Amino acid sequence: MPVPGAGMTVCVVGVGNALRGDDAVGLEVARLLDGTLPLGVRLVECEGEPVSLLSSWEDCDTAIVVDATESGQEPGTVRRLAAHDGPLPPELQRASTHLLGVAEAVELARALGRLPGRTIVYGIEGGTFDTGAPLSEAVQAAAAEVAASIRRELSEGPG
Amino acid sequence: MSKTRTIRTDYLARVEGEGGMLVRMRGDEVLDVRLKIYEPPRFFEAFLRGRQFTEAPDITARICGICPVAYQMSSCLAMESLAGVEVGGQLRALRRLLYCGEWIESHTLHIFMLHAPDFLGVPSAVELAKIDPALVETALRLKKIGNEVMRVVGGREVHPINVRVGGWYKAPSRADLERMVPDLEWAKDASREAVRVVAGLDFPELEQDYEFVALDADGEYPIDRGGRIISNRGLDFPISEFYDHIVEEHVEHSNALHARLRERGAYLVGPMARYALHRGLLSPDALAAADEVGLEPVVLNPFRSIIVRAVELVHACDEALRLIAEYEEPSSPSIDVVPQAGWGHGASEAPRGTLYHRYRLDEAGTILDAKIVPPTSQNQKMIEEDLFAFVSGHADLGEDELRLRCEQAIRNYDPCISCATHFLTLDVERE
Repeated sequence: MPVPGAGMTVCVVGVGNALRGDDAVGLEVARLLDGTLPLGVRLVECEGEPVSLLSSWEDCDTAIVVDATESGQEPGTVRRLAAHDGPLPPELQRASTHLLGVAEAVELARALGRLPGRTIVYGIEGGTFDTGAPLSEAVQAAAAEVAASIRRELSEGPG
Repeated sequence: MSKTRTIRTDYLARVEGEGGMLVRMRGDEVLDVRLKIYEPPRFFEAFLRGRQFTEAPDITARICGICPVAYQMSSCLAMESLAGVEVGGQLRALRRLLYCGEWIESHTLHIFMLHAPDFLGVPSAVELAKIDPALVETALRLKKIGNEVMRVVGGREVHPINVRVGGWYKAPSRADLERMVPDLEWAKDASREAVRVVAGLDFPELEQDYEFVALDADGEYPIDRGGRIISNRGLDFPISEFYDHIVEEHVEHSNALHARLRERGAYLVGPMARYALHRGLLSPDALAAADEVGLEPVVLNPFRSIIVRAVELVHACDEALRLIAEYEEPSSPSIDVVPQAGWGHGASEAPRGTLYHRYRLDEAGTILDAKIVPPTSQNQKMIEEDLFAFVSGHADLGEDELRLRCEQAIRNYDPCISCATHFLTLDVERE
């Protein structure tokens, strides 16, 4: 599979729940990126169990994960974290009672030595998570912002 | 005067769904135990009314992300029973195969990620991965294989889209199925090893005199269907008589209806029940795995359910391999099902136990009434009785240890609380 420069194998994963308002933002970022990334980048939408992240980014040396956060910040706030440097902050660990969360999947991968050497997590603070609601305005804007950042990062290389 | 003690766990981790637990004690005496299910009620039985019978499998599948196939199968069987048709032959074989996929992924998830941490003294699968990465890697691969079976046969890993009343939208080819054989053979070996590993765990002491209830499937280990419900205390009735023998009632502390046997009270469904009633029908290698670790023919210590689940994992892998070996692509992916007015009954063995559906249809096939009785709902009383017995026998344990063991005792049942509510804070109030 062709790679975007310097032998990097890259996986971009948008994680979310399309049915719960701003919880869909990770999926929206993936959709915005579709067709606009360098050839060879693996683009994945993850609506199910974050544990499948481990399969999604298998054999990749770089993974970029996008998910909604619920940590009391202004809706639309974007945080970019280098998960390979250490555990994600506790306030970003949004596990549900039905699934392992992204943060736990990252820790699981780390414990198993299956975390890509460079794992970036973008958290976009959600405003409302109501069933059936569309993305709120601030979150939609943040999605576009994050998609642009990822596009830039992958065409220019890590900053 | 002894003081009242309360132990409280607000959210029970490592179960599916939201629930709590309350234990009230005076000295060493247990006064009250409650499994509090506060997961919001799901109202599926209500909004199925007015839908077409063909929609039941897809709608009810949404009750659960871990065991959707169970809902799809029980609902299909109910509709087909009303129409007086039976989905047999290879179409039925595919159903059983899909169901094996679900057993594999569900049992794997529970054994390794949800329950094993309790026995190994770690709070979660993440910590388990730190002390035994190979075990977690095995679990992830096993789960992936179960999910793959569901994807190949059911069209999608979660809420399979290929299931319909009467059979399937599309039947897989032999080649599609055979491609899974190497993985399933690995899975079978991994399952046998899992039996050995879990058999070596330390098991808290508890034995109960259970009434085990499961489907009887006419000479097969019950998975995808069964016409009768039996127990180790002489129950034996067609599934259509479910409500003649079992009563559901609403209790204040649970959003899930409690079930009990009319004549007797609490009962147990799930792997321990199936094993107790149908042990001889396990595949030879599953039976051998049980014998190798000296698993007793009837398991009465609920903590040892983890071994039974692992034995069923071996069986599910074996069954899947057998069904694939015998598969011939059917000439049509489904049979016609013409709706009749009346009551339809369907039951299958979800990973957690017997799942019963009852529907009333009109002559146009519109659903007028729906009743869904999930296994976890049926097990609630037994869970409470287990807790009562366990705490009574271990009242001297420190608060933290007691809480952990109580949570572990609940996880013995692999509860699927989302299913049960059409969950867990442990409050122990000590007087």
